[in-house]
Amino acid sequence: MSPISQPTSVAFNPYAENGGTILAIAGLDFAVVAGDTRQSEGYSIQTRYAPKVFRLTDKATLAVNGFAADGNIFVKTVKQRLEWYRHAHAKDMPLRAIARLIQTMLYAKRFFPYYVYNILGGIEEDGSGAVYSFDPVGSYEREACRAAGAASSLIQPFLDNQIYFKNQVAVSGTSHPKHLPILDVLSLVTDSFTSATERHIEVGDGLEIYVIVASGRSLTELSSIAGIEEVTGSASATDRVFVIRRELKKD
Amino acid sequence: MELNGGSVVAMVGKNCVAIASDLRLGNQALTIATNFEKTFPITDRIIIGLPGLATDVITLKERFRYRVNMYTIKEGREIEPETFAHLVSSTLYERRFGPFFVEPVIAGLTKPSEGSVPFIAGTDLIGCLTLPKDFVVSGTASDKLFGMAESLWEPDLGPEELFETISQTLMNAVDRDAFSGWGAVVHVITPDKVITRTLKGRMD
Amino acid sequence: MDHFPGTHWGKPRNDNIDAYGTYPLHAHQPRTDAFADGVQRTQQPVVTGASVLALKYKDGIMMAADNLASYGSLARFKDIQRASGDMADFQQLKHILDTLLIEQFVQDDGHKFGPTEIYEYLSRLMYGRRSKMDPLWNSLLVGGFKDGKSFLGYVDLLGTTYSAPTLRNWVWRYIAQPLLRKSVEGREDTLTEEEAVKILEGCMKVLFYRDARSLNKYQIAAVTEKGIWISDSRSVETEWAFAEGIRGYGAQTQ
Repeated sequence: MSPISQPTSVAFNPYAENGGTILAIAGLDFAVVAGDTRQSEGYSIQTRYAPKVFRLTDKATLAVNGFAADGNIFVKTVKQRLEWYRHAHAKDMPLRAIARLIQTMLYAKRFFPYYVYNILGGIEEDGSGAVYSFDPVGSYEREACRAAGAASSLIQPFLDNQIYFKNQVAVSGTSHPKHLPILDVLSLVTDSFTSATERHIEVGDGLEIYVIVASGRSLTELSSIAGIEEVTGSASATDRVFVIRRELKKD
Repeated sequence: MELNGGSVVAMVGKNCVAIASDLRLGNQALTIATNFEKTFPITDRIIIGLPGLATDVITLKERFRYRVNMYTIKEGREIEPETFAHLVSSTLYERRFGPFFVEPVIAGLTKPSEGSVPFIAGTDLIGCLTLPKDFVVSGTASDKLFGMAESLWEPDLGPEELFETISQTLMNAVDRDAFSGWGAVVHVITPDKVITRTLKGRMD
Repeated sequence: MDHFPGTHWGKPRNDNIDAYGTYPLHAHQPRTDAFADGVQRTQQPVVTGASVLALKYKDGIMMAADNLASYGSLARFKDIQRASGDMADFQQLKHILDTLLIEQFVQDDGHKFGPTEIYEYLSRLMYGRRSKMDPLWNSLLVGGFKDGKSFLGYVDLLGTTYSAPTLRNWVWRYIAQPLLRKSVEGREDTLTEEEAVKILEGCMKVLFYRDARSLNKYQIAAVTEKGIWISDSRSVETEWAFAEGIRGYGAQTQ
């Protein structure tokens, strides 16, 4: 050390990591998109309720995770683009088009990226449940399930095992189901988050599960769920959106 | 830990314990061998898992063998799991400022006269012991193992159920880890025997 | 990799003998003025301002800030801001807000900014500046009351936003936030004004005892349906007799 210390400056870091985890699973004619509600920086919890899952249309919900400021701005911009689309075409943008829109928007900022992992869940034009997952610069693919964020490494292998039946062999003469019933999917989601809360400090406080149901599907199973709330936007919508809120441990 | 890769998990069941490791040995991203077991028997009722730097794995395996033999000769009896866990801890702490790069996992049953009680333990690379009631994970896939074990494990599993649980936990975790995998070996220790099975896994 | 092979006919580039070359492009950005080298962006806060505590209670929101570096607030409409961080940046922020509010006033179109609008504006401003890599080095607490609803929000130099029943900024989080959360969370709708003042007084006392950079002179502000109320500077009773017998505290007698 020299006796005269020079003034030093650290370059401004425009990013932060705000913890939390998101998860989405596609069914035959429904999709489930979930996220915890804790927002943190380092070891400090900033708030116990900052939603990470957003309804975009009556057939699409978007979960964002990573740098919260980027995430919120990104969701706002996507919503704005969807509104412009509505004004131009007098209908909601289809899910696969939203997916491509998100990839273009993310790649547009390739050299100053939105530090956000996106998972888009909803109903395709053919009525099938779909999940699209993205990396921060726009690489994307359609999948049956995906976990992202702080506890993704805890949850994703569990989903491989329970959704894709990886490392499981079906009884001879039978095969694994291609799509799981909605109540099974919801149990897997809650189990994933309670486990992640137990073992990851950035996950906890609250859980928000969005369920997007294709038109014509029976809603009897859903009506049995305590505290479920419908958040469908327009009265004429054929696909419907519900949200289930649950508490998670706060420590 | 990422130089050679590898993962170990141990779980408690009803009157039994299980311990399992993957079989990969790598040099960073390059796979060198696919038959590198990281679990080693200490007595008929104790098995230690040593994921980490392979050269230290072999050194420590030999050192524990030596120290347990000395214990057996001096005391004229077999070492107990808890005693062995402390032996592991103090052996590692001897190298506090130039540690062995391993994070051991210990699984065992107490002697039959004391009820064959399940025992598991884990330590960090300088010998800080943890003694959980449910499971211990270690190695390059430890976060994935935590996620799997936390959601699959339940209390009072019998030997066969415990075998299935620990196998699913390990296989699905290492399949999401680039540094672990290429099959696994699973030991279930029961009061009268040790059941050892080798599992085939994804080869990528 | 040479991305512009066509500009030099296959001859290796040499900037020493080719003053008119435009490659590499980034080395030839026009200087805006003679003082361009002297222009600096905020890299770290220079004059720092006070920290703030805020909580929600039955009638609205309440804040407390000590008078160490500054006091005063935008006593306009039914919301107030307190900020901590670089004072120059804060004053510019105040100036921008003032301009905005004057513009809105002269429009006289019946629309008035409430706390949510101010908060949205500030968060966009802060995020916009961070995206230009030229942040306003502050963290802001926006509290207000409009149409029977109280509002409390946080935004910082990165544009990170959130709201919660209790808020604080900078170092005070480690001391005051647990105290605030313990006494406020879940009771936002039942806390009375007296209780809220008491909670904040308790926090200020602990902060004065434990935070070397705090001052036992602070103000409390409340925003309710009735408008804004800001107290005069006040102090809390402190007790230092215990320090006598402890080495390192109080006067050194040993």
